[in-house]
Amino acid sequence: MTECDVLVIDDEPVVRAAVRRVLEANGLRVATADDAGSALAHPALARCRLVLVDLMLPDRSGIEVLRELAGRRPGLPVVLITGYATPDHVVRARDAGAAAFLAKPFEANELMDCVRRALTRHVAAGEDPA
Amino acid sequence: MHTRIGLQIVFAVGLVTALGIALLASIALRTSRREMIAQLTRSADLLSETVKRSTEDYMLENRRERIRRQIEAIGREPRIERVRVFNKQGSIVFSSDPSEVGHILDKGAESCFACHAQDRPLEKPPVQERARIFNTGSGHRVLGIVNPIQNQPSCTSAACHAHGVDETVLGVLDVTVSLEEVDRQIAVSRTRIAGLAIGAVAVAGLLLWWLSWRLVSRPVEALAAGTRRVAAGDLTTTIVVNGRNELSELARAFNQMTGRLSEDQRQLTQADKLASVGRLAAGVAHEINNPLTGVLTYASFLLERARDDPERRADLEVIVRETKRCREIVRGLLDFARQTPPRRQPTDLNSVARQAVSVVMNQLQLGHVALTLDLADDVPQVEADPNQMQQVLVNLLLNAADALGERGGTIRLASRRAQVAPRGHEPIHRAACPKGCDLLDPGTRVGALPAIRVLREHRGQEWGFCLDPVYGRFNHASAEVCEEGVVAPAMCPRCRTPLLEPDSACERCGAPTFAIRGPDDEPIRWCTRTGCHFTWWEGRERRGPKPVVEVSIEDNGRGIPRENLPKLFEPFFTTKGVRGTGLGLAITWGIVESHGGTIEVESEQDAGSRFTVRLPLGAEPMRSAG
Repeated sequence: MTECDVLVIDDEPVVRAAVRRVLEANGLRVATADDAGSALAHPALARCRLVLVDLMLPDRSGIEVLRELAGRRPGLPVVLITGYATPDHVVRARDAGAAAFLAKPFEANELMDCVRRALTRHVAAGEDPA
Repeated sequence: MHTRIGLQIVFAVGLVTALGIALLASIALRTSRREMIAQLTRSADLLSETVKRSTEDYMLENRRERIRRQIEAIGREPRIERVRVFNKQGSIVFSSDPSEVGHILDKGAESCFACHAQDRPLEKPPVQERARIFNTGSGHRVLGIVNPIQNQPSCTSAACHAHGVDETVLGVLDVTVSLEEVDRQIAVSRTRIAGLAIGAVAVAGLLLWWLSWRLVSRPVEALAAGTRRVAAGDLTTTIVVNGRNELSELARAFNQMTGRLSEDQRQLTQADKLASVGRLAAGVAHEINNPLTGVLTYASFLLERARDDPERRADLEVIVRETKRCREIVRGLLDFARQTPPRRQPTDLNSVARQAVSVVMNQLQLGHVALTLDLADDVPQVEADPNQMQQVLVNLLLNAADALGERGGTIRLASRRAQVAPRGHEPIHRAACPKGCDLLDPGTRVGALPAIRVLREHRGQEWGFCLDPVYGRFNHASAEVCEEGVVAPAMCPRCRTPLLEPDSACERCGAPTFAIRGPDDEPIRWCTRTGCHFTWWEGRERRGPKPVVEVSIEDNGRGIPRENLPKLFEPFFTTKGVRGTGLGLAITWGIVESHGGTIEVESEQDAGSRFTVRLPLGAEPMRSAG
């Protein structure tokens, strides 16, 4: 099974590619999925340390994926990314237990800051399966 | 084709009038005929009495020849048809027609009928019963009157001793007069009365037609035409019906209804536009942010890795900066759609202006534009959102560059501190009637501000009127319905409360004034006379000029057509075709407005435009850091 640190779920190929490029350049192993269904069935899901999920996926919303993951892998940090964030979305994401909320478009360092913070919190919680 | 209501009324009332007049005429005719016959009867009776008296002496003296000649002489009178005397046996003793002397008349004959009706001769019945009218063979009617010759003491004692004492009636004098003349007169008067009656019916009909046209047909036609216009979608329709009756009341109710409808429709349209902006912004944000993520992430990633290559670094910085600007524009759109309040901080508008210029510099150079910066050194800081203000200036600069077009031209960006007099500049952000109804009409705008809607009235005619919401300016959104110079009071379009001020007079023309409740419930007054430019906002005038920072962007481009000025700041209003979304100036206006500032545009066609943004300074303006 492929080792994986971060699972990126986004229906937009350029976003998946860009995120993969930045994360891999920073030494993280990345798996991607283009919708909620394939993400939840992805083998990497069992072992990854972080999930980046788009708020609006073709089949389900990012918040639904977040809730599903909270049941399957409690404590796994999930970062929501979106191109259209209303204050209401932010509140709902936080209430659903999102580790962070990242608005598109973002710079490489913004992405890395966000990912590092989420992973650090994860490690601090002592649930690193690695 | 329907029959006109006026025509139906004319027919109905006309028929009743004609019948009434015909009845009256026939009664008058009958009465006059009866009166004439009665008069003639009396005069015939008098004549017969005269004949009796004049022949009395001859009779007593039994001078029969004289009697005969007398009667024949009387009978020659043209009006007198016949005079004759019967004896008791019915035998004609004397007659103006000598041929019938000696004939015996049956008691049933016309002359005898009055007295012998019951076969029992009366001595002397009243004159009407003794008279009878009948036709003679000569073709005209005659009136006959019989006069009994009663026995008198002188008759029984006369020399001839012809009559006994026990006889009561000795004979009968029968006078017949011609009715030809009377019948002719009756015919003449019948013709005259009929003529008058027809004339009266005609005049009454005409009068009725005119009245029904004025009171019914014309207003009904106006109502029908108005309704058709409304049905065709023209909600600005106002029906003018003069007078005070049910139809003018209906017209007023109709006008109120269309007024409300158009107001609601305008508000719906405006709400619809804003909702569309929101949907568009959301869609754009979602779609554009994905490709922007690709550009920004890669560019910033490359920038991080190009630390040792200053040349590439500078290029990548441009990409990152511009992509971030795109991000800000998209966020600005969302902000506009969501009307987020500005995140204010002390801001130096001069440095905001310089940043804005650096952002648009490339485009300006491409378009052969000469840009002049004229920033005053003493411009104080204002409380503003620097990002939003930069967006305002970028929008205005790009707009100016667009106005210059291919040929290019000059743009002057200037800043200064200024004192702005309220008159002609201060927007009226709140307007209410005395009962508190909101008078601001978001559907009708002057510049970008909602106009102040009142209902004006002159001689029973009412029309909605949209006042310019900038104090002291008179670019009203409605044309005066009346000619200039008439006094047209105003009232609230919702609750119809009069806005007229008691005991008030315009300082220019002396006409009464009306007032609305402006911001902080301060009254703002206008003259009721149409065309009179008097207005007064006591509270605002007392506070005096307002300190502001003024940033103006001036171009010598093609200018803005006059008719486009009021729509300039409306969402989706664009003259740039596919190149424009019609959102730039709407967003610009929204940002300036949310900063409590104003934006003013002056433009002359083919000479250029100047947009002036004014942001208010606080009570203690912070000095610019440098």
